[in-house]
Amino acid sequence: MSETTAFEPRVVAFLCNWCTYTGADLAGTSRLQYPPNVRIIRTMCSSAVDPVYVLKPLLEGADGVLIGGCHPGDCHYQTGNYKTRRRYVALQEILKTSGIDARRVWLRWISASEGQKFASTVTDMVAAMKELGPNPARENWAA
Amino acid sequence: MKTVIPVNDKDVLKATRSFLRSLVDRGVVEAMYVPLEMEGGAVLPALVTDPAMLEKANPLAPVMPINGARAVSALTGKHTPGKLGAVLRPCEIRALIELVKLQQANLEGLTLIGVDCAGTFEVSDFTARRKAGSLDWTGYLGGLQSGTAAVDGLPLRAACQMCATPFAENSAVHLELLGSDLAAGIPLTVTDEVGAQLGLAEVARGEGATAALAPSLEARRQTRTKEITAIRERMNAEGGLDELFASCIRCHNCMTACPICYCKTCLFKSASFDHAPDHYFNTARRKGATRLLSDTLLFHVTRMNHMSTSCVSCGMCTSACPSDIPVGAIFSAVGEQVQAAFAYTPGRDVAEALPLVTFRESEWTEVGEAK
Repeated sequence: MSETTAFEPRVVAFLCNWCTYTGADLAGTSRLQYPPNVRIIRTMCSSAVDPVYVLKPLLEGADGVLIGGCHPGDCHYQTGNYKTRRRYVALQEILKTSGIDARRVWLRWISASEGQKFASTVTDMVAAMKELGPNPARENWAA
Repeated sequence: MKTVIPVNDKDVLKATRSFLRSLVDRGVVEAMYVPLEMEGGAVLPALVTDPAMLEKANPLAPVMPINGARAVSALTGKHTPGKLGAVLRPCEIRALIELVKLQQANLEGLTLIGVDCAGTFEVSDFTARRKAGSLDWTGYLGGLQSGTAAVDGLPLRAACQMCATPFAENSAVHLELLGSDLAAGIPLTVTDEVGAQLGLAEVARGEGATAALAPSLEARRQTRTKEITAIRERMNAEGGLDELFASCIRCHNCMTACPICYCKTCLFKSASFDHAPDHYFNTARRKGATRLLSDTLLFHVTRMNHMSTSCVSCGMCTSACPSDIPVGAIFSAVGEQVQAAFAYTPGRDVAEALPLVTFRESEWTEVGEAK
């Protein structure tokens, strides 16, 4: 397969304003290299990411969805990320039961100072999604 | 307090009605939410304030047009304007407890009158039989005794066939309809307060009635396991979810009938998914074709996310579905999995916090970190 037709995963990332988005910014200003496959959406808190926002891209054919939040205990709104964590656990169970590939949804705690961790997370996730191959929903007209 | 409602001439319904009337006459309640018989066969739940209307009450009728938790939510809201009694089945009580936790109903000033339930029939089946005068009432009462309601071979609603929780727990007034010969008297458990108001005396009676039901409950548990396993397999097959919801016409009946889906401003009732024409063209160009109406799977999977922790398996969604999709079994399969993850049983205890509004700092510490 030539370089131009190789599968390039598309990852949608919902990043919390206070930690992970700032961490992504730090990765940029530090000139760290990471794959350009990620489309970042800034949210005020990871707990503001209703599962519908994760499901919509997943059912439309995005290859991966990343949710980034502050480390537990560091939430700008005190406890938002603890709720994110429970919601993520519920979502994983629902995806597993309903036959949607739960490995396509990642939750990661990345602080404002962890630019390196952001870059390596995106690198790892893009590699993992390449491994999984294209999301079958991309071709599914009947969803 | 345990006692027995006396039954004369084997007329269980008449004895039930006069007991309900005594609740109003003795001032335990001022108004009662209870199913009433209509001319023409239907049985419809209503709010009754005139005790004479209780002559039409029939809480034994094996039919459940709506999940009563919705009605009690409407009647109690933030403040209940009078002493309300609500005659509810077990799955209605469980849904009500979830609605209380969701702040959509309140239990203050409410007397729960729980009726054990051997199962209900689809409204259309029930009404047609009753209208034709062919409803085998004695057969149904006999079915209550064995815990397997059956009327002339009519099948129960799918959710009822796999219900192993037919006892009306958490009620202040509990009519124990299952497992004993009701013609000899209706076993009743009431709180001491209500017992005193009604002037009831304790009547000693055996506890063996529920043991008699064990075999039929075990059979239902097996039916549930079988159904849920089959649904899980279908969902996990490639394209399984698409196939299950292939005949969905996105009428939202399942959501409307669901006692847990209370949101007045549901995302799916909004204009959020009324896309611009370009969107459909672009999606079709990308995929070769696109289903209309769009976002059908998104609707169902989002609903799973929003209400599966509280799903009480009442099956109103299946009954409401015009396309015969086993919505209830699907949601029960998902619900069971999610509820197990949080060790949560919906409708068990009003003091038990909803899984998604609470947390512990020490839990799932591995989540959010690379393995």
